Amino acid sequence: MSQEFPYLKDAEDVVAVQRGPEPGGVAGAYRAFGETLRGLKTTMAQVFAGPITIQYPEEKTPVYPRFRGRHKLHRFEDTGLEKCVGCSLCAAACPADCIRVVAAENDPVDRVSAGERYAAVYEINLARCIFCGYCEVACPFDAITMGHEYEMADYNRGDLIFTKEMLLAESLEQTPLRREGE
Amino acid sequence: MSAEKPQITLVIDGIEVEAEEGAMLVDAAKGGDIEIPVFCYEPKLGGPVGACRMCLVEIEGIPKLQTGCSTAVRDGMVVYTRTDRVIESQNAIVEFLLVNHPLDCPVCDKGGECPLQDISMGWGPGRSRFSEPKRHFQKPVALSPLVRIDRERCIMCYRCVRFSQDVAEDEQLQLLERGAQSFVGTFDERPYIAPFAGNIIDLCPVGALTSEAYRFRARPWDIEDSGSICTLCPSQCNVMFTVRDERVQRVFPRDNDDVDNGWLCDKGRFGFQMIASGERITEPTVSGAKVGWEAALDAAAERLRAAGERTAVIVGGQASNEEGYLAQRIARRALGSPHVGAVDELSPAPLHALSAPELGAAVADIDHADSILVVGVDPLHAMPVLDLRLRKAVRHGDTRLVVASDRPTALDGGAEVTARYEPGEAAELLEALERQLTRPPANPGTPGREAEDVPGIGSAGREAEEVPGGDSGAESIAGELRPGATVIVYGERVGRGTGGEAALHALAGCARALRCDADRAGLIGVPDGANGRGLREVGCLSGAGPGFEEAAAGRDLAEIRDGLRAGDVDALILVQADPVRDLPDGPAWAQALRQARAVIAISCFEDASTAAADIVLPAEMYAEKEGTLTHPDGRLQRLRPSVPRPGDVRPVWQALTELSARLDHETGIDSASEALEAIAAEVPFYAGVTADEIGGRGVRWQERQAAAACPPAAEARGERRAAAADSGRPENGSGGGALRLGTYRDLWAAEATERNPAIRFLAPAQRVELAPADGARLGLGDGDQVEVRSNGTSVRARVALHERIRPGAAFMIEGTATENANALAGAETVEIERIAPAPGAPGRSDRSDAEPAGS
Ligand code: SF4
Ligand code: SF4
Ligand code: FES
Repeated sequence: MSQEFPYLKDAEDVVAVQRGPEPGGVAGAYRAFGETLRGLKTTMAQVFAGPITIQYPEEKTPVYPRFRGRHKLHRFEDTGLEKCVGCSLCAAACPADCIRVVAAENDPVDRVSAGERYAAVYEINLARCIFCGYCEVACPFDAITMGHEYEMADYNRGDLIFTKEMLLAESLEQTPLRREGE
Repeated sequence: MSAEKPQITLVIDGIEVEAEEGAMLVDAAKGGDIEIPVFCYEPKLGGPVGACRMCLVEIEGIPKLQTGCSTAVRDGMVVYTRTDRVIESQNAIVEFLLVNHPLDCPVCDKGGECPLQDISMGWGPGRSRFSEPKRHFQKPVALSPLVRIDRERCIMCYRCVRFSQDVAEDEQLQLLERGAQSFVGTFDERPYIAPFAGNIIDLCPVGALTSEAYRFRARPWDIEDSGSICTLCPSQCNVMFTVRDERVQRVFPRDNDDVDNGWLCDKGRFGFQMIASGERITEPTVSGAKVGWEAALDAAAERLRAAGERTAVIVGGQASNEEGYLAQRIARRALGSPHVGAVDELSPAPLHALSAPELGAAVADIDHADSILVVGVDPLHAMPVLDLRLRKAVRHGDTRLVVASDRPTALDGGAEVTARYEPGEAAELLEALERQLTRPPANPGTPGREAEDVPGIGSAGREAEEVPGGDSGAESIAGELRPGATVIVYGERVGRGTGGEAALHALAGCARALRCDADRAGLIGVPDGANGRGLREVGCLSGAGPGFEEAAAGRDLAEIRDGLRAGDVDALILVQADPVRDLPDGPAWAQALRQARAVIAISCFEDASTAAADIVLPAEMYAEKEGTLTHPDGRLQRLRPSVPRPGDVRPVWQALTELSARLDHETGIDSASEALEAIAAEVPFYAGVTADEIGGRGVRWQERQAAAACPPAAEARGERRAAAADSGRPENGSGGGALRLGTYRDLWAAEATERNPAIRFLAPAQRVELAPADGARLGLGDGDQVEVRSNGTSVRARVALHERIRPGAAFMIEGTATENANALAGAETVEIERIAPAPGAPGRSDRSDAEPAGS
């Protein structure tokens, strides 16, 4: 060996490598296409399972009840007064700084909310919102909650600033809900 | 000023803390970064009261818990603030406080900056065991048109009551009823209206007292605070502007003990609404047409060039040093005119003498003075926050207060001696006082300087002695004043009018005799305009340029007015000045402005003077301004822009430099700070001052090195004229209806009152104050509608009878929006005639001044 590789000083440095089989034959063909065929098997199985995509926007993906979509502001069911008192705690909690509240004093004869004050301006810039839901957690009156709506694309950034009226309004379409465990 | 107290060491929670001997434990703990919660402790209100028990701590060697707010530290004290016993007591106190608290933080204006919230979170138990119904009150009710009170939130800390009783001494707020039913209120539910009432809003540690003007405007995380100075009066309080959405929403104090002690008057506190007013002038106009800056400045330059040295400049009291400097520079250097004045006008020679650095007292010197002489000014109206300072000195110390004025002042009650002189006759009294003070002490007949020597003034009782103005009055005054430890607070108004110069000279003489150059003594002059002192020092004074440098004498204000009418003065530049309202003889000014060839007004609002102006340039308001001011005690202070300027408004310094450039006098000044540099270069005693050096707290120029460069006043005594005592003045209270007229500037007789919806209700209607004896003699009762006449002009007013008015004198308000008494200025005496029968007194409508004199 030292004659074959004269520069090797020590025979122990030599590692003998075993050669694989020569290409060709059945084994060769299997080695080339076997894994591909295995993948194709899965594909073929799915061809017969039928489609699982849905025809958006005719059909909508249902969401889980805890899904955090576009916010909603709420009114008391009995009195119709707004729950929001304009305390700005949501604005304080918001990490994206996308809520603006300007409060005003209620007129006792023509109340807007149940408390002493109400939100004269309530705006959420949905272009900035990260849907973390902190505002909902911060609200002491459950006046703001995260809804299920997720279709908020628009042509203008300005249109993504939702006003109090928009947030109070019932949404036109209901987002389908997924049942628990589904 | 007070002597350094020795330092001692104590141990709090195992941390060694150094503190000044006699400091309260809660303050000492801060040095070791340890916080002891407090509610009722507020050093601004005076000594601790120990009412709330929030601050209980354990002190080694004392079996019971002690209140940290009222326990003075001792050397070697060992204190624990977080032991189980302390925590238990803190929890209990918070639980008790919250028993009746409605916990309506979300709708409470204090939420987010509320000490009760912070302490409940930090030291409270976190839960309440109280399930009974809470105490209820009607809420929120108006304590006054400016302050609302929510009694359910109140934690009975007494702070507001203490303010009203002990600081403002208006004694209106009380704690009514007992036990759980107690509440803060006023007698008979009268509105709490007092000049400093707004301070209770800041003091309240909960949201029980809220500001009508700030109610629900913003929450602490919506706002930015921006520190500046209030320029609505010479107090120049250090304020913080709360800014939301680029608008000032609130003003609160930026506690500076050298200036304001952390108090504000209601004019400053609620006077911010006008900054965002829709009535502001926002575009330059030429003859009423909006033309834009370039055209307006061109037009102004053209007219000024035509007028040349026949131009006069008047600078209003609110203008900054930079604005005043540039305005006088335009007159003197660009146009070669000597006619420069500020609305606060005094003759330069005695003024210069009184401004000497060694004679100046700092505001804080008042706290430690042995005696204080207040002459010719009612600080409540002219410099409100100084009134609180003087009260504090009298309340706390052995300070003896002497008040000498023509009109009764709010401070009379606390004074040892009050002297009343006839309206405008300060000179006579001051000269008598100077004679008394300079009399050789060897004379055995001289009253000593010791209080005991003065009859009727014991050190025990505070029996104010009221003395007449003449020599005997001066004698009583002199007996109260201790040389070397007396602070003299004088109204610069004593320097106006015929006897004015003599009065100022006499005042300077008194100051010398009282050794006002000593450490604890000095003079503070109260100007009318907020920056009266600064404007004079930068050269807005006829006959004296920047730094009192000799300058060609120009016309005084009355001469400017007459010159405008006679056609000797062609053009007038008004820099935030409204002579029709603020200067004597408004109607004559209105006429003069109409007759002038060209009036260029730089103003924030349309007023009687801009109405007559040909060219009106918009000005910034104080919250928008960058610049410096000089406090009446010589403290240079900085104005910083807090909100953007509306519309097309430009800084006033910029308008002035551009105007100057168009008049071929390139100033080379391109910013407010460069204007300050120019001032620092030209006013020797401001030398080298920079905005950084002034900083947020200000710096008194008298305490800087450069003060030595203040040129000594020329010895003007040689040519000094004595007050003309025999100038043919009518005898006091002589028959007929003639009365001596005195005018004063009421705190609320200001543009700010009318421009701010919140305080508009305080704008005073004209009234004429008379002594009851005169009222009886003239057949006039309180509230009678009268016409006050003199030399063919008349002003309508209502009669107000006042015990403390000197018989023979009548006082009216200057600067009211209508029926301004400045129309009568210059008149020595007035006739008063009823114009409508007093309700309930039918049949008395006959000419009553013909009735025989009753007194
Ligand atoms: S969901 Fe989060 S980011 Fe969006 S508004 Fe609420 S707090 Fe702000
Ligand atoms: S109203 Fe406020 S300041 Fe006054 S006692 Fe109550 S809590 Fe204290
Ligand atoms: S803070 Fe000490 S008792 Fe109130």
